[in-house]
Amino acid sequence: MLKAENIKKTYNAGKKIALQDFSIDVPTASIYGLLGPNGAGKTSFIRIINQITQADEGKVWIDGQELNPEHIRNIGYMPEERGLYKNMTVGDQLLYFGELKGMSRAEALSQAKFWFEQLNIDQWWKKKLSELSKGMAQKIQFVVTVLHRPKLLILDEPFSGFDPVNANLIKDQIIRLKNEGTTIILSTHRMESVEEMCDFVALINNSKKVLDGKVFDVREQFKQNVFSVVLADTNAESLEELTRKYQIENMTTNNGLFHFELKNSENQNILLQDLVKTGTIRTFNEKIPSMNEVFINAVQS
Amino acid sequence: MKNIYLITKREFLTQVKKKSFIILTILAPLLMVGFGVLIGFMFKANEAEYHFDVVDKSGLFAGQLKSTKEITYTFVPENTENALVKNLKDLNGTDGLLIIPELKDTNFDALESGTKLLTNKKIGMDTKSLVSADLSNILKKEKIKQLGIKEDRIVNLDKNFKLISQNVTESDKPESDLAFGIKTALSMGLMYVVFMFIIIYGVRVMRSVLEEKNNRVVEIIISSVKPFELMMGKILGVTLVALTQFIVWIAMTVTAAIFLNTGFSAMQKNIPAGEEGVLKNLDIQQIATEVSHILLDMNYVGIIGVFVFFFLFGYIFYSSMYAAIGSAVDNETETQQFTLFAVVPLMLGLYGSFTIMNNPDGPMAFWLSIIPFTSPVAMIARIPFGVPLWQILLSIFLLIASTLLMVFIASKIYRVGILMYGNKATLKEIWKWVRS
Repeated sequence: MLKAENIKKTYNAGKKIALQDFSIDVPTASIYGLLGPNGAGKTSFIRIINQITQADEGKVWIDGQELNPEHIRNIGYMPEERGLYKNMTVGDQLLYFGELKGMSRAEALSQAKFWFEQLNIDQWWKKKLSELSKGMAQKIQFVVTVLHRPKLLILDEPFSGFDPVNANLIKDQIIRLKNEGTTIILSTHRMESVEEMCDFVALINNSKKVLDGKVFDVREQFKQNVFSVVLADTNAESLEELTRKYQIENMTTNNGLFHFELKNSENQNILLQDLVKTGTIRTFNEKIPSMNEVFINAVQS
Repeated sequence: MKNIYLITKREFLTQVKKKSFIILTILAPLLMVGFGVLIGFMFKANEAEYHFDVVDKSGLFAGQLKSTKEITYTFVPENTENALVKNLKDLNGTDGLLIIPELKDTNFDALESGTKLLTNKKIGMDTKSLVSADLSNILKKEKIKQLGIKEDRIVNLDKNFKLISQNVTESDKPESDLAFGIKTALSMGLMYVVFMFIIIYGVRVMRSVLEEKNNRVVEIIISSVKPFELMMGKILGVTLVALTQFIVWIAMTVTAAIFLNTGFSAMQKNIPAGEEGVLKNLDIQQIATEVSHILLDMNYVGIIGVFVFFFLFGYIFYSSMYAAIGSAVDNETETQQFTLFAVVPLMLGLYGSFTIMNNPDGPMAFWLSIIPFTSPVAMIARIPFGVPLWQILLSIFLLIASTLLMVFIASKIYRVGILMYGNKATLKEIWKWVRS
């Protein structure tokens, strides 16, 4: 749905490089995570898609068309620094922003009502934004972003400012939108949300793309073939044999149970047979790295 | 285009719905008038009446020193002087005792230095000067009489030379002093109003820009509209607010003028021929009526037209400057280093315009009303005195051109500035933004 090729962006007459040779391919109706430390270049890229700034080099396509002002009405953007007019009522603001995105007043009104029901916030229509708490204001922010039914949603740290219940509510809405065909780009530090929600991910560090791909593939790529095992009904001698064959670490004993980790790049079935010979298997888990670990690994290398 | 309309509409409605706007627009003129009346009333209420006893040993003042509304002089016999001086403190009906010594050998200076006013209460400066003036006038007459000149001749000496002036290139009837006074007052008033409005509403635009920057709304809006549209929408919105306020005030003034004017013309019919001069000495209401008559006599449609045009464009010129300033900084204290750029030319226009009163067609007046930075203020100051059409057109053309240029430059600064935070923008930095 969105394709960027060799994007380069600098500031200060070339002295500061924000993005170099940045290319990604975002499939339609997917949730695409954009990860990276602060200052890596995520916000610069997002601004380029939103046509707030222009890339120095490179091109962006949306659905095969080169990026142009017509695309603005099909993109919804929730910036990390939330912001709405404090002294306008919620209703007025929704209509205003909806109209700015090209909706008619009637459309904006009906969509606003729809979202108010979805998020359970009917009674806020006439309230001024200054009267709402931060979490409530964030919900309104979300509605402003999705009101005009954009095909592409760009959410910068969408969960910051939400308590767990409301964060879940928003997460469900995002997934629902994806199932209805919306493409969503999520920029975040929260790795758990990447694991839970994202289909694809791209890692940016220091203005360059470090890796990208399906979340599943990326995690597989970084797995270290480490297994976490808990054995019962065994003894030190049997374990001795096991240690000779496999690399075993972090052994602890607890209530007659032996916990340890071992590395195995060979066939897992043979490992299982060896373990069965050693004792009763209570737990056998492959340690797939969390996105957090992937991130740290990728950034450090 | 539609976006500019939406943004303008929002700015306009937000400001107009504020209670402060309604109060200011409708109540302010009423308050001003009420205030003026109150001041007048306060002055009148504080007018004191004094009662002085006079012991005149020179004999020159009896019959000459006339009582007025403020001061009542009562001449008392000389032999009561000592008793009065002793009891002055306790006397109720008398506020003071004026003692004038004998005149010896036409030594008027000695008379003056020997005269005393003893009071049993505090008297103000103007009362003292009234008494002093009264005494001085009488002495003057006496001194002249001593020179051998008759009294009725003296009266003629001090008459004001009433000079009738008429500009043959302009009108075919002589101009009254009052009309000229009105023009000056109008000129100063309008000029001051334009000056204050440009600054007040320009600062509002600047604050609005800062607000949007500070509450980060700007990022969302910029993802929907171009920065130029946002800036223009904001400027036009605030312009409409100012214009609305003006129109309400102008309407109120014109209505009042017409209302009073019909009163004037009704009055004129009833006064027999030859006594129009009497009108000049009548009290406030008639003067107000005559003022409105003169106002309506002037080319007030033309004046209002020029006023509205120069105000509008001058305002757009300066408020784009203010918008650029607001976008370049992060908070209001940082704006102060830049607002000088706006305020200094305006003040030049304002103070320079005072010279326009003295010389409406002079070179200063000409240049100030042509150069775009000062022309909004200066041309408005000039227009009640009449300006040649070619000058008006030249000034209009220059103002439009420089307003467009200013808007262009400001929008370049605006587009970069609104997304920049934490940068201490210097002039050099800002210049780079313009050139990009």
